[in-house]
Amino acid sequence: MKPGRRSILSMLDDTVRWTGMPARVAAQMTDDPDRKHRPLRWTPIWPIAFSCALLMISLAWPRPLDGVDLGGIIGPLVAFWGAGLGMLPAIHIYGPLGKPSLEDDEREATLRKDSFLFCLGWLAVLNGVGQPLLMILSHWKHWQIAQTASVVTTAFMLNATLLGCLPTLYASWNLRQLPKE
Amino acid sequence: MSLHNRISVFRAERGISRRQLADAVGVNNQTIGYLERGDYKPSLELALKIARHFGVAVEMLFSLERFEPIAMTLKRTGEGE
Repeated sequence: MKPGRRSILSMLDDTVRWTGMPARVAAQMTDDPDRKHRPLRWTPIWPIAFSCALLMISLAWPRPLDGVDLGGIIGPLVAFWGAGLGMLPAIHIYGPLGKPSLEDDEREATLRKDSFLFCLGWLAVLNGVGQPLLMILSHWKHWQIAQTASVVTTAFMLNATLLGCLPTLYASWNLRQLPKE
Repeated sequence: MSLHNRISVFRAERGISRRQLADAVGVNNQTIGYLERGDYKPSLELALKIARHFGVAVEMLFSLERFEPIAMTLKRTGEGE
């Protein structure tokens, strides 16, 4: 059939393929566990960068408590949190650490342990250094309740994002591509 | 310290795939690939299982020193005969 005279059904087929769902369903139905859990080297960087940016914005531009439309803030915030918290498990599940740990062999168990140790180590350092810094900053800059709440929320979001993404990122960069047999 | 191995040589000699060896010793087939490339150091248990599968001593498969090239071994064997 000529490209110009394609039926509506074939165009609809193309639309479905364009969404990526057929490939995702094929990956879900495959028996090969390696295909389901591929290294994600770039995807986890976006939520981490986004959470860092949010924390920086909340630190740089304090929001005055007076005159704030709470309804206009809470709605988008809930939607944003829902989307963010939904994305973190998806990154973990589709990443190299996503399969059940009971199915790990010794190399995978070591990789999982190293990935979480790397993540928890960084979280410990960042929180250990960040908390006193934030305490000093809040006292020095005379933060109001609204800014304190904003910083606490975004800092918590950054912690959750790092916990969700950093192990996947570490494991993905430690898995080099193997040549085909 | 790096650990050298000759798993790929033995595997090629016996004509078995990574997946077959992986299934025989109870690991993921990717683990065999990373082992062969030297990206992963096996536990003693896994090294012994692989050696047992090939029916050789573990020193034949793993070494702390670089293995002699097969061409050199063959040449030395030929000169000995």
